[in-house]
Amino acid sequence: MRYRAAPDALAATLSDGAVLLNLRTKRYFSLNETGTRIWQLLLEGRTEEEIVHALTAEYDVPDTVARDEMRTVIASLRDCALIEHDPS
Amino acid sequence: MLRGGSPTAAAGPGFAWRAGPIDAYTDDDGTLLRLMPDGGALAVRGGRLQRAGGYAETARADRQFLARVGAIIRLRARGRFHVHAAGVADPRGRGWLLAGENGAGKSTLAYALTRAGWMLLGDDGVIIERTDHGIVAHAWREPLAVSRALSSEFPELAGREAPPGFADARDRIPMRAAIAQRAPVAALVFLRRGERDAITPISPAEALAQLVRQSSWVLMPDGHAEAHLAALRDLAERTPRFLLTHTSRQLHEIASTLTGALA
Repeated sequence: MRYRAAPDALAATLSDGAVLLNLRTKRYFSLNETGTRIWQLLLEGRTEEEIVHALTAEYDVPDTVARDEMRTVIASLRDCALIEHDPS
Repeated sequence: MLRGGSPTAAAGPGFAWRAGPIDAYTDDDGTLLRLMPDGGALAVRGGRLQRAGGYAETARADRQFLARVGAIIRLRARGRFHVHAAGVADPRGRGWLLAGENGAGKSTLAYALTRAGWMLLGDDGVIIERTDHGIVAHAWREPLAVSRALSSEFPELAGREAPPGFADARDRIPMRAAIAQRAPVAALVFLRRGERDAITPISPAEALAQLVRQSSWVLMPDGHAEAHLAALRDLAERTPRFLLTHTSRQLHEIASTLTGALA
């Protein structure tokens, strides 16, 4: 499954994380460094499996840890209406 | 184009949005603001504020609120963005932004700094601008409101009364201060009242999250939100950032505390 940024989402990326806003819901969400990397990979159109693979390679963490982290971030981003499913 | 009626009912290629008690409608000509449920309207058009339906009959405090929002929108279109923070300039001309929730001590410590010879940029807000030389803070003229309960620390407050028309739920009164028109921002300080005094660095992401939480105007969908967020990001990333937990000692030591943090 792939995701894309919601139409009302704005993002500001910093050296140690990111802050995301949804202009429609007026909600904001902050991400740590790993969460920011997941956000970037989502915007690149990576699938969930590709994201897990990238995280295990970049952060030297077990597959299960990377998968849990990715699922947590995706669930939070979906709850805040900051990403949506990309059917293309 | 803008119309004088209900913003949400207007036709055309614009869009309706809401910010707190204000209904707004934005299109290519500008933005029409209407204070809900029955307040007057104000248009921001061609870089100017224009009275619209019901404005003259609106209570003075509500007119001032509308004008404040209108000014924030007008400035956003010019690349200048409101930040909910007190602003001061030290004797070397360096700007300091004091941010925090309501009651965190922004106005009080800004006033304490003006008593120590610093100049005021804004009491409850400043305007920031991205420049080639960093972030510059511009003055946002509002009365510097100081609690009368501090008269034991600041004797000049004793016996002073709020002037007619200045209503404040926290029994604060307006005080005069020397105004700085602008200053390059040297540091960003988040305030929190506590049981001991401590000033510690915080991360850029933490600073930006706090700025966004306290600067709700960044969320206005008037076409300039992305630029507003980028300005806050630059402020959080490029400026030294601190958390100041403070006690009443800082009423008299804040100037040396801040300058010491940058030393």
